[in-house]
Amino acid sequence: MAQTLFTNDIRTLRFLNGEMTQADLGAQVGVTRQTIAAIEQGRYSPSLEVAFRIAKVFGKPLDAVFTWDGD
Amino acid sequence: MSFREKIHWVALTAIAIAFGWYFLTIAWRADDPAGLLASGGLLLLATIGVVVVMTLATVFLALRNPAEVNLKEDERDRSIHWRGTHFAYYPMIVGTWSCIGLIFAGVSQTGLLNLLLAMVVVAELIRIGSQIWLYRRGY
Repeated sequence: MAQTLFTNDIRTLRFLNGEMTQADLGAQVGVTRQTIAAIEQGRYSPSLEVAFRIAKVFGKPLDAVFTWDGD
Repeated sequence: MSFREKIHWVALTAIAIAFGWYFLTIAWRADDPAGLLASGGLLLLATIGVVVVMTLATVFLALRNPAEVNLKEDERDRSIHWRGTHFAYYPMIVGTWSCIGLIFAGVSQTGLLNLLLAMVVVAELIRIGSQIWLYRRGY
């Protein structure tokens, strides 16, 4: 299974934001629930635009949501 | 599994069964004097079968997943579709050049029809199959 070169804290941030569902986050960002699930599990690299939109929903800077793990 | 992925599974299964039946039947009737018309008749049946199955399955799945029916494609869906179509390009180009070569080799109309059809079926199976694989894999 393909893995991205970064990790993310989306699951934790959803929990801390009123236990927001993947579907709710997807609706606010403009992607499907399956895409949010794939991003959370590190199986899909979102575009920069979607990454910024996710960070904006949580009111966090991008690097508080996504952490680069590559070389 | 998303509504789109389920539709892909239905399409893959319907095409594999309908055109698998078509090509197995054609193989047994290779010497049929009806030739082109026999192939045309079977092709029509196989095509109608795929369209009917796809229509019924889409309606059934839409009724079971009403919330997902009107969801627009997002960037991941589009990327998966583009990549699947990209993979299907290769059998299409190989098949096209093969047909061009076989025209000059004097292959019959029935032979060309079936080669063209096989090319389209293989390309479709690769496109849909790779899209399902990408959906399963995440990207």
